[in-house]
Amino acid sequence: MKDFDAIIVGTGAGGGIVACVLAEAGKRVLLLERGHALSFAEVSRDQLRNQRLAIYGHNAGPDIEANPRVFIDPLGNRRIVKPHELDYHNNAACLGGGTRVYGAQAWRFSPDDFRMASKYGVPPSSSLADWPITYEELEPYYERVEWELGVAGDGSNLQAQIPRKRDYPLPPVPPGPQSTALREGARALGWVVSPVPLLINTAPYNNRPACIECKYCVGFACPSDAKNGTQNTVIPRALASGNCELVTDAIAEKIQTDSSGNAIGISYIGQSSTVPQRQEARAKVVIISAGAIESARILLNSTSTQHQFGLGNEHDQVGRNLQGHLYPRAYGIAAASVFNGVGPGVSIATTQFNHDNDGIIGGGMLADDFIKPPIDFWYDSLPPDLPRWGLRNKQFMRDNYTRVLHVRGPVQDIPNPEGRVTVDPSVKDRWGIPVARLSGTTHEETITAAEFMRERGEEWLRASGCETVWSTRPELMLSGRQHQAGTCRMGDDPGSSVTDKWGRVHSHDNLFVVDGSLHVTNGGFNPVLTIMALAYRSADYIANSII
Amino acid sequence: MTELQRQTLRAALDCVIPPDDFLGAWEAGVGNYLALQFEGDLAPQMTFYLAGLDGLEAEAIARFGNHFFSLGPEDQNSILQSVESGAVNTSWTISPQKFFKLMVETAAEGYYSNPEQGGNIGEVSWTMTGFSKYGPV
Repeated sequence: MKDFDAIIVGTGAGGGIVACVLAEAGKRVLLLERGHALSFAEVSRDQLRNQRLAIYGHNAGPDIEANPRVFIDPLGNRRIVKPHELDYHNNAACLGGGTRVYGAQAWRFSPDDFRMASKYGVPPSSSLADWPITYEELEPYYERVEWELGVAGDGSNLQAQIPRKRDYPLPPVPPGPQSTALREGARALGWVVSPVPLLINTAPYNNRPACIECKYCVGFACPSDAKNGTQNTVIPRALASGNCELVTDAIAEKIQTDSSGNAIGISYIGQSSTVPQRQEARAKVVIISAGAIESARILLNSTSTQHQFGLGNEHDQVGRNLQGHLYPRAYGIAAASVFNGVGPGVSIATTQFNHDNDGIIGGGMLADDFIKPPIDFWYDSLPPDLPRWGLRNKQFMRDNYTRVLHVRGPVQDIPNPEGRVTVDPSVKDRWGIPVARLSGTTHEETITAAEFMRERGEEWLRASGCETVWSTRPELMLSGRQHQAGTCRMGDDPGSSVTDKWGRVHSHDNLFVVDGSLHVTNGGFNPVLTIMALAYRSADYIANSII
Repeated sequence: MTELQRQTLRAALDCVIPPDDFLGAWEAGVGNYLALQFEGDLAPQMTFYLAGLDGLEAEAIARFGNHFFSLGPEDQNSILQSVESGAVNTSWTISPQKFFKLMVETAAEGYYSNPEQGGNIGEVSWTMTGFSKYGPV
C-alpha cells in the first residue's frame, strides 16, 4: 500500500490549492478526483446540457445514472434525484471541480461578513454565528489567490467596504453598453458601482492567453483557457513539482481510522482497470475537499466502532447549516440595445446593499449577468405576462433579446441547522456507497433580504432607463447548488462546529476539511475566492505545523 | 408517428413559433430536433406526446369538423388556447396542460438552441435575436 504525507480528496477550489502548496513544499501528495480532466470539446457548448441550463444533462459531471441523491422537500416528500436536476444541488465533478466551468466571479467577503452574529444578533431558529477568524486575518490570502491565479478587477470603489492592500494584477473586463446604462442609473441613484472582479485573464498571465470575449462563459469551458480554475493553475504546478500523484475517476468511500480512532488514510473505488476496484492509501494527514455536500457525506460515511455517527460528528454538527445563495433577479427593457455580443457580459456591480439595510440581516450584491444563450433567455428572462407561445412570444425574442437589462446577485444566506446533509439509509451510488440526502430550507430572514434586494434590482433598472420592469420573487427553499457551503463550519466550540479555525476536525489532529464546508456564513458574494483564500491558509498551516 | 400525427405536429409547431420575417418552427427544423430527442432524452415521453397530438386532432374534429392541420390559424390557436388552459371539449387520456407545456418548451429548445441539435437551421433564431450577429464567435 502506498504511503503519502497527505491525501487530498477533491481537486476543486479548495483541494487544488492545498495540493499545490503541499507539493511545492516537498510533501508527497496523493490527489484524488472523482471525475477526470475534461477537454474543451468534451465540455462542449451544448446549450441544453450545461451547468447553467441542464434540462437533459450536464457537461462536467458527475455521471447522471451512477450518482443519485435523495431530496426531501419542505412537505416531507422524499424522492431520488439525478445530478442535473435542480434539487440535486450539483457542483461539477471533474478535474478542477466547479472551477472548470464557473463564471469565475472573484469577490472577497467583506469584514462584516465574518461577524454576522455580533453585528445583527442571532434570529430565532437560525444558527447565525461569527467566524473564528477576521477579514484582516484572511486578507493576505485573498491577495495571494488574486496574484497567483490571476484576477481582473479594479478595487478602488470597493475600498471603503472591502479594504485591500494591493490592487488586482489584471485590468477589469471592458465595459459594454449594459454597463454604461447601469452606470448611468447608479449615478442617478447615488449608488457606488465597480467592475466585477473575475478570475479571468483580461491580458496574458501565467503563460496563458487573454480572454477572447466569447459568449459562452459561465457553465462552459473557456476556448482560450483564459478562465483561471484550479485545473489550469495550481494543479499543473502541483504535478510539475514531482511530488503529487493525481488519480482521477477515484470515488472516495471512507476515511480509514486506526484502533484508537485516528485518521490513517482513505479507501476509494479506483477505475483504472475495467472492473472498479476498492483501493486504500495511507497518509500522515487526510484533507477532504469534495464540496460542502460530498465532504459531509464522506465524514458521515466514515463510521467505525469508535465513531458510529461518522468522523467529527460527536455533536451532530456534520452536514448541518447547508447554505448557498438565493438569487433575486430583476429585468427591464432598455431604451435601446444593451447587447454588443462581447463576453463574458458580467461587468458592473453594486455592493451598496451588502450590509446596514434597515430591518434586514445582511443583504447582497447586485450585478449584470453573463451573456445568456437565447434558449436560456427564453426560459429565464421573459416577462411573466408574455404568452409563452405564438407570434407575440417570437417577436418579443426578436425585438428584446438585445434590449433586456438584467441584474441579479447572491443574498447572504441566514443559516439554520435544519438545512442539512445526512446520508440516506437505503439509496446507494453505483459503487454501493450511501448517498447524500438533502433536507430543510434556508431561514425566513434570507427571504426578507432577498425581497429587499429584488426591489433594489427593479429600482436600479428603472433608474437606468427601463420603463417596463419585472422580477422574480424569492421562495423559501433549500439553497446550496454551486455556492454550497457551511456543512463543516469552523468554530472555537466543538459543540457547535466541526473544525477549528484551520479547518482541522476538532476530534482528529490529522483530519482536515478544506472547501466551502468551512464557511460559517457564506457572505453576500460568490464564495469561490474565500474558499481559495482559506485553502491557502489551511495549506500553509498543514505544511508548517502538521507534516 | 402516423402521417396524420406528423401533419398535426407541423401545424401545431407553426402556431407555437409561427413564420414571419423569420422561419417558423417547422421550416427551422424543430421537427428534426424532436425526432432526434424522441430517440434520446425524450424517448420515455414519446407516447405521451403522440397522445397529445391525437388530442389536438380530436378537438379539431369535435369543434370544427375538420383536421387540425386543415384549419385556419385562428381556429388552430383557439384549440391550442383551450388545451393550454385545460378547457378541452373531448376526453383526453393525458393532461392537456402538461402536453401543451412540453410541446411549447421543446419547440423553443429546438428553435433557439444549437443548430447541431437539429433545429435552428442556419442559426435563424440566433440571427433573429442578435445573439450571433454581434461580438466575437
